[in-house]
Amino acid sequence: MPETELVNIKINGIALKVPKGEMIIESAKRIGVEIPFFCYHPRLSMKEGGANCRMCLVEVASRMPDGSLRKMPKPQTSCSLPAAEGMEIETETEALNADRRGVLEFLLINHPLDCPICDRGGECPLQNNTLHYGPPTTRFIEEKRHFPKAYPLSQYVVFDRERCIHCARCTRFTRDISGDEELNFLWRGADMEVATFDHTEYNSRFSGNVIELCPVGALLSRPYRFKARPWDLQSVKSICTQCSNGCNIKLDYRLDRVLRVNARLNEDVNEEWTCDKGKFGMDYISDESRLRTPMIRRNGELSPASWEEALYLIASELKNVEGKVAGVGGAYSSNEDIYVFQKFIREMLGSKHIDHRMGPNFHSYNSGLLKRFGYPAMGNTIAELEDMKSTLIFGSDFVDEQPILYLRVRKGWRFKRNKVVEAAPQGLISEDVRHVTQFAEVSLNYKNGTELPLAQGLLAALLEDKGWPLEEQKLLSNISGKTVAQCALETGVDEKDIRKASELLATDKMCIFAGEYVTHSPDAAAILEALGDIAVLTGNAGNLNVPVTRNNEQGAMELGILPNMLPGYVPEQNPGMNTEEILNACVKGDLKVLWIMNTDLVKEYHNADLANSALDACRFVVVTSHSLTETAAKASVVLPVHSVAEQWGTFTNVERRVQAYRKAFEISPDIHAEWKVFSDLSSMLGSPMSYSDGKDILVEIVKSVPTFAKCGPNTLGDEGVILNPVAGGKE
Amino acid sequence: MAELKLLLKYRDVPGIENIDVWESCGGYEGLKKALTMERSAVIDEMKISAVRGRGGAGFPAWIKWSGVLKHTDAPHYLICNGDEGEPGTFKDRELMLKLAHQLVEGMIIAAYATNTDKGYVYIRGEFVEPAKSVRKAIDQAYAKGYLGRGILGREDFNFDLYIHMGAGSYECGEETALMSSLMGERGQPRLKFPHGALPVDAGVWESPTLINNVETYSCAPHILRNGGAWYASMGTERSKGTKIISVSGHVKKPGNYEIELGTPLMEMLDLAGGVIGGKLKAIIPGGSSVPILPAEKCVGVNMDYESCQAAGTMLGSGGFMVFNEKTDIVILMRRTAEFYAHESCGKCTPCREGTRWMFKILDRIVSGAGQPSDIDLLLNVCDQIDGRSYCPLGDAAAWPIRAGIKNFREEFEYWITHKKSPIGDDCVPPVPYRINPALIPLS
Amino acid sequence: MDKENSNSITPETDERTHCKKEGRFSSNAVAELEEIITHYPNKKAAMLPALWIAQREYGGYITPEAIREVARLLGRSKAEVEGVATFYSMYNFKPKGKHHLEVCTCLTCGCVGAYGVVHKLEEMLGIHLGETTPDGEFTLSEVECLDWCEAGTVIQVGNKYFGHVTKDNVEMVLEQLRESDDHTPTSLADDIVKILLPEGEPKSKVE
Repeated sequence: MPETELVNIKINGIALKVPKGEMIIESAKRIGVEIPFFCYHPRLSMKEGGANCRMCLVEVASRMPDGSLRKMPKPQTSCSLPAAEGMEIETETEALNADRRGVLEFLLINHPLDCPICDRGGECPLQNNTLHYGPPTTRFIEEKRHFPKAYPLSQYVVFDRERCIHCARCTRFTRDISGDEELNFLWRGADMEVATFDHTEYNSRFSGNVIELCPVGALLSRPYRFKARPWDLQSVKSICTQCSNGCNIKLDYRLDRVLRVNARLNEDVNEEWTCDKGKFGMDYISDESRLRTPMIRRNGELSPASWEEALYLIASELKNVEGKVAGVGGAYSSNEDIYVFQKFIREMLGSKHIDHRMGPNFHSYNSGLLKRFGYPAMGNTIAELEDMKSTLIFGSDFVDEQPILYLRVRKGWRFKRNKVVEAAPQGLISEDVRHVTQFAEVSLNYKNGTELPLAQGLLAALLEDKGWPLEEQKLLSNISGKTVAQCALETGVDEKDIRKASELLATDKMCIFAGEYVTHSPDAAAILEALGDIAVLTGNAGNLNVPVTRNNEQGAMELGILPNMLPGYVPEQNPGMNTEEILNACVKGDLKVLWIMNTDLVKEYHNADLANSALDACRFVVVTSHSLTETAAKASVVLPVHSVAEQWGTFTNVERRVQAYRKAFEISPDIHAEWKVFSDLSSMLGSPMSYSDGKDILVEIVKSVPTFAKCGPNTLGDEGVILNPVAGGKE
Repeated sequence: MAELKLLLKYRDVPGIENIDVWESCGGYEGLKKALTMERSAVIDEMKISAVRGRGGAGFPAWIKWSGVLKHTDAPHYLICNGDEGEPGTFKDRELMLKLAHQLVEGMIIAAYATNTDKGYVYIRGEFVEPAKSVRKAIDQAYAKGYLGRGILGREDFNFDLYIHMGAGSYECGEETALMSSLMGERGQPRLKFPHGALPVDAGVWESPTLINNVETYSCAPHILRNGGAWYASMGTERSKGTKIISVSGHVKKPGNYEIELGTPLMEMLDLAGGVIGGKLKAIIPGGSSVPILPAEKCVGVNMDYESCQAAGTMLGSGGFMVFNEKTDIVILMRRTAEFYAHESCGKCTPCREGTRWMFKILDRIVSGAGQPSDIDLLLNVCDQIDGRSYCPLGDAAAWPIRAGIKNFREEFEYWITHKKSPIGDDCVPPVPYRINPALIPLS
Repeated sequence: MDKENSNSITPETDERTHCKKEGRFSSNAVAELEEIITHYPNKKAAMLPALWIAQREYGGYITPEAIREVARLLGRSKAEVEGVATFYSMYNFKPKGKHHLEVCTCLTCGCVGAYGVVHKLEEMLGIHLGETTPDGEFTLSEVECLDWCEAGTVIQVGNKYFGHVTKDNVEMVLEQLRESDDHTPTSLADDIVKILLPEGEPKSKVE
């Protein structure tokens, strides 16, 4: 990258060097000078909004070509003023204070002073700026603007139009970041109001962010409304568990209740965003449905029991198990929990039957990726995505499967003019929600189930472009000698579109995402071979991504919750049974004990009938769980285990980043950490695995699993650490 | 210095809206001459003429032209600002209605000079009749080969000219708001230099853009036909050429008058037949946005950029409004404030909130509920808007009110004390007959 | 060229949009819009023209259905289209009378008798400003400067300006309008759309 040119400026007489073109409001931060603002936000575009609140005015003198200084006659907004050589800025003059007082007086003439019942009270920029700069009284004696209070925009967001100060942060967010463009201003002048189209529901995957962006109490969370005053909340750094992206969040809680979730800055992961699934989905932690005591099946009914009872029962079952035990699940537990889980199953119980996978397709595409490219899921980091000149989203409901990755890809399109090609099955693309299709350069809308011919078509188009004779192409088993035209016919996609798409892919810095329509396809391995060929042919080997979707699914892969891999992808010489085989074995009565780790098997396993039969047939089923799920209800023993709020732990996110979360509170002393369950059982079984806390376990992982070598509890920090490459993964 | 018809010279020629008649009056000669010159030489001619932008700000036209020409890689765009909306101004309407070919010729010259192949005439939505004239002129110019591909046989000069109709917004007359509107957005202003790029560097669609007023483009055919030096021989030292002044209000012969810049203001008044309905009370010389001049300050002021400024007002867009002694300045200011409150785009705090507040205060005063503190409050609100808003609309809303109070403070005091007009019941505008009327609903 | 700058209107099936067929632009309107889109480097720029077409197609005012249609044809979000439409005062969102009398009461007109004209119209029509006569014939509004101040008082009725109106001659204006089917909100929109389109086929297009 070219080095940024530095310029010399002065702020309040202090000389400093800043990158040319940096906004003065940012330069001021460098020397601890705070300039008040409302509408400014560094991640929102200035071009089509911003600089509108006029709160951040400063006095500016510019250097003229002849070297003289000329003071600009009007104060300037520092949020939009790029630093230039010789510029001299004043931020604290009497005149500027008067200007700020003026702006605040204007904002307050229509703003209702209902702060005592406003959720934003206590953390409100308008309150804070008024305290510092505002007029003590108002001279406005006319009638204020009136709107209905607390108008619900969606199930999550409630809108108080009287409080709105028209900063355009929310409207810019929907255009610049989330891309749904659901919010806009109606009318003009003092009649202007934020609204959705025709007052329909605010339909967004990311609506919760506008609550945090709103500098007043106009956009508020419905679930959190009137629940607490911010100064009564305690907060803990945590990681969202609602998908694999691993958003950094703050859990705000009182006593043992999570009251709200706010984003926590991590430039490499979620920047400062969350999706609604995460922001509004963490209330399960404090839900009434949480199990607070172990349950044991007695006379066919589950009834409460003590831990001693439950563990004793399990231990007695396990004593004579002779390896006829299997473990499934693990994608929702911490790295430490699952590490101990597999250690317990493998070393303590002598079984190789362990698997976390729930999907319909057991072709091990992950091992395929590993063999070919040396990584098991994603070859790119999240942050890299915004710099990909071209991105192919193949067979994925991307915004739902990978919300944060979606935001990165869209950011690259919006702010860096990157191109996006979408290949989605018919029916997935709807007009109701604006997602990838809205900004994709080409949308390949294929017949359901034709992922393979489409991938082959793209590959064939690339090869034709490169002038490979058809005979040679036939050598590639992936194409089987197909022409683009044949593929177009099979997939129902216009041949021209396939060719246009392949042209866009033929560039450096191209990456490919394969989603669940690929991984769930019976052809998954072949599709990924073809997509891999595209990556290789375009010089982007390593940029084929098959991201996982569940909370710690990546961790489960990394730490050997697989019948054919030990932690760190060490191949198991004689692999055990996979999930399907385990369940079939249960049905046949070949297994004595089935351990289900915090997973609602009936709901998640793609074949619910098989899952049910297996649970019914298996003699002894242990389920660790947060609540009495359908699966837990069929168990012999149910053990209540910690949620993310109740212990220290780490997750591995979709890009293989290990991130730590902290304990907030305890709900009940009778809810245990999962690792502790195994630790206690191992003692009872006679060969104790003793750990005092999760950190102990992580230390052991760091020592024994080379990919985790840099992930010690003291090195993770707030940003987390990406795992080491898999040694010898690539053949 | 007096009336001097240049742009309006052929206004009354029968059939002048037809291309044949325009050609018989020397039309398209300027274009033909321009095409014999280098592009930069055309701009030099504009430079010699020293013609200044007639939209209101008075910025030398040639600087913008050369700013666009210097870009060689990106597509260029030419925009004519025909979104005339300033109360008291109606020159562009007449220039488009009757002399559309003059405008089209001027734009083609500018397109050639700036190496631009696409242009838009942005016309306010209400101007259906003038826009029809421009449509006809464009169609005729295409038919004659003045527009389109290979203009007048010049293989290297292509120019397509389109019309873009506004839909009711004063703010769109501001050049960056006009660009937003042209690009299909809300008519709100965009960042200006040094916060954003100059339009000549990155205007519409991030491309170099020349944006001039109807009157400015209309000057070009004459400057090219007769030479920049000829044009510069008219007017004053710093304000060259002619200017169309739209005279309205309490005068005998309202209408558009083209004068040499520097013509005494009182002579301007005489041209329009003088005041009717009583003695002269005040003149707003440059459209509603400029400060009002009380009669006693009108003497000695000349109609040029500098003299107007020295007198504490501005030449602006040339909307010359004359008010006789029956005029109630407070009610007039209330109506002015109502205009700006209605037309504020709402983007920035001072203008959005301040204009509506000023209107509410003034409305309260003329409804008989004024308070002594209101006058200083109004002045203070003006100060809080002026120079703090995103675009000049805020300034334009503050200046007239401030000047109204400064020059006629006793009338405000009279209203507040006596709760009635100092002029009497037959004052104009009349006392608003409904207390606290709502602004016109936007729908 | 990126997608935003593409000029083609993708034909979209009903299943994709869940729109009612009858809510669509006529094929003539779509053709007009397609022609207008070629005037600009991207589709979005045709927003104001598309809204003018919509105002004509949907009977003189813009319905939510019309906004949906414009959003679909231009590939923009509905909220954005509604935001743009409501910014401009000449787009209507409620039905107007057959003749929409818009009286300029701004500075000059206001000083030369506009308020007298408004009074007289209110008396004659039996309605207040902002209202429509029960027979749907007239809507009366007050507007900002129409910029024909030399002819104050000026009234805009659809596509026509009436100048030099006084409280004494305004009755003639009404009579003239009563007999006329011209100057309606729809004819205003239609005129504007026609103005945007070159006569006949474009003569020569710069590629």
